[in-house]
Amino acid sequence: MRIVVEDLSKRFGATQALRSVSLEIAPGKVHSLVGENGAGKSTLGKIVAGVYSPDSGKLLVDGQEVSFQSPFDSLKKSISLIAQEISLVPKRTVVENVYLGIEDATFSWVNRRKLKERFAELCETSGIFVPGDKLVAELKISEQQKVEILRALARDTKCIIMDEPTARLSAEESSKLLDVIRGLTKQGRSVVYVSHFLNEVLEISDQITIMRDGQLVRTSTPDQETHTSLVEAMTGKSFGSSFPSKQISEIDEKPVLEVKNLYSRNRFTDISMKVKAGEILVLTGLVGSGRSEVLRAIFGADKFDSGEVFLEGKKLNLTGPNEAIKAGIIMLSESRRDQGILALRSVRENISIPYLSHLSKLGLINRRKESDFSTKYTVETGVRAASNEVRISSLSGGNQQKALFARALAGNPKLLIADEPTRGVDVASKRAIYDLLASHSGKGMGILVVSSELEEVVGIAHRVLVMSAGKIVKELTGSEITESSVLAASFEGMDTLNGN
Amino acid sequence: MVIKKMNSRILNRDVIRKFAIIWVTALVFVGLSATTHNFLTVTNLRNILDQQAFILIVAAFTTLVLISGGFDVSLGAIYVMGPIVAMRVEHATHSTGLMLLAASAVGLICGVFNGLVVAFGKINSFIATLASSFIFFGLGYVFSGQGILTISNFSERKLVTHRIFGITSATWMAVLAIAIVWILLDRTKYGRFVFAIGGNIEAARLAGIRVRQIQIITFALAGFGASFAGTLAAIRATSVQASDDLSVIFAVVAAIIVGGTSIAGGAGSIWRTVIGVFFNAFIINGFYLNGIDPVFQRVIEGVVILLAVGADAFGGSSSD
Repeated sequence: MRIVVEDLSKRFGATQALRSVSLEIAPGKVHSLVGENGAGKSTLGKIVAGVYSPDSGKLLVDGQEVSFQSPFDSLKKSISLIAQEISLVPKRTVVENVYLGIEDATFSWVNRRKLKERFAELCETSGIFVPGDKLVAELKISEQQKVEILRALARDTKCIIMDEPTARLSAEESSKLLDVIRGLTKQGRSVVYVSHFLNEVLEISDQITIMRDGQLVRTSTPDQETHTSLVEAMTGKSFGSSFPSKQISEIDEKPVLEVKNLYSRNRFTDISMKVKAGEILVLTGLVGSGRSEVLRAIFGADKFDSGEVFLEGKKLNLTGPNEAIKAGIIMLSESRRDQGILALRSVRENISIPYLSHLSKLGLINRRKESDFSTKYTVETGVRAASNEVRISSLSGGNQQKALFARALAGNPKLLIADEPTRGVDVASKRAIYDLLASHSGKGMGILVVSSELEEVVGIAHRVLVMSAGKIVKELTGSEITESSVLAASFEGMDTLNGN
Repeated sequence: MVIKKMNSRILNRDVIRKFAIIWVTALVFVGLSATTHNFLTVTNLRNILDQQAFILIVAAFTTLVLISGGFDVSLGAIYVMGPIVAMRVEHATHSTGLMLLAASAVGLICGVFNGLVVAFGKINSFIATLASSFIFFGLGYVFSGQGILTISNFSERKLVTHRIFGITSATWMAVLAIAIVWILLDRTKYGRFVFAIGGNIEAARLAGIRVRQIQIITFALAGFGASFAGTLAAIRATSVQASDDLSVIFAVVAAIIVGGTSIAGGAGSIWRTVIGVFFNAFIINGFYLNGIDPVFQRVIEGVVILLAVGADAFGGSSSD
């Protein structure tokens, strides 16, 4: 199926999301859309999938002009969208989810055996295997995504639009997904791939369309582009490098954080590590290896069974995050939306919330003081917002994350813990966040980061600890830190474990 | 220029939606004034105000519970059980002061109990307070000896019926309760935390808020409000018994929701509650003055609540 987009424009309120964009999606090809947050790539994907209807312009499917009023219409034309957020029914089985709404049914009696047979056939032909009897809730996110793909295929989809499919996947799972995508194109299906991960884009695409501010910058092929050329086209600026230079000389030998033999049943075991002042220590490994759990335990967000945590040599017995913050540890959690921002509140309130005791007298908040306080840190972290009084949820992902950094840095912590600090963040904000990490480590803050992005691990870490199945399996320092060594260590751990 | 114009248009639409309940309430007020004889009279309006005083006190503190993302069904039971204990204390001591102190204490104790169950038992607050309302309701029977308790000194009614600037002292107490809750929500650390945990309890906890503490305080304040208001109502009525109407909580929650405070938590305000209470009061008063069968009142009230909740869901004002 060939999809042609001609002069498509779309406006949301005061924002022009798309300005006369034209492109062609060829059958059997992977067509990537890249751009910063707000560049219009998701909007374009959603128009093709019938989620939005365009203000002007044409959409042609196999030469025929179509006008989709809903995703249902586009589905009838064999186009489906797999959104960033998984949209499955968690408490139902894989098979039920795949055939939801298109069951073989006689008088609404669902023929389960027949469904199962069809499902097995579908797995066979697509080459995507997921246990059909399992509940979706029991699956890993990467497997849930496969279910979404199977669901699209069960409806005989010819074109699948994927919006940031690997944003929540580990490196290993991402590479498996790319294999699945290659399989799809071999069957003549086209894939529209919306992603922030430029290395993946360069690896998987047949065509790449770069967007900026709702406009199409250019469409080209991967051999004509490099990581740098993409970033420059997306941002309209040239960056020397995606990462600030590492300042290693400043590292103090005295540890800010020392963890001894931390153990939590079913989560992690025998975790010992030190974070020195002025050091950025990155904890990595496959998703599910227990990295986030370790961070949460150090921060007092979860209890652990045994082991000790010391901050600047003093033993901590935290009963909750409030005590961690008081002691000088601040954590940015993995999921900005679920565990980070207070979506309904203003930027100002989001930043000041942990420090209201210092900004109030007898429980009454000093508004003036609070406002100055928040502004000081939004300026420092470069949050771009109409004002600090707007709801934080109205900001772009990158600016929300910068605001959360403002919240964290406002406490001037001894130890900053950041779980996936740049997830879902645009390129320019990423660089700003790396700069913040580098400059604060330069001032002697201890920084502990969890990251799944190999590029990022290599780009920012002074030292890397690789976790696998709840244990630290490898330590890498200095020039040992490369994408391949990190990846190798992540898998080695798995192998030795399986060997046992 | 164009953008500016568009912004102002968007702003206007938001303003209309945000303050919809005010316009609607004003419309009802004007409508009733024009069509209904005796509505726009000092006596009638004063009556409405005096009748709503107790509801307003309960509703003010219950607003805190809803914004914090909780629900408290047991307030209806506390509204009856509190005055029973208070009346017992009054009979034993003949002291009005001790009676009110007892009312406050009972409310706080019941509320703390609810708060502990919700915070530490990790039980959904609707279920937890549904259970505790049976307990409080039962205790009401125990403490009352299943009889009617009457105030021993009828001059005590002055406490609630005494008029200052033409308005009863009960109404002034409601004004005070509203002011207290307004300050709590708008100006204090505690209020910020209430909004935060109602919006996203896990994000709030990770931001360093002591979530359980805030939950317990919130339920305690609501318990206090219900018990205190219930006692004032009992004094006005001169008596209380365990079989008294528990449904005050439904009227209260209805008013809060009609006002536009989200039942999902994290959003809302005290002025919304006040408007919601008066919206309901005007409608009921209108029925009464027009001689419509009270049976229909309930039906219409229900429809109004559905409309209000529906408008909230479709307007999407509190999401994202």
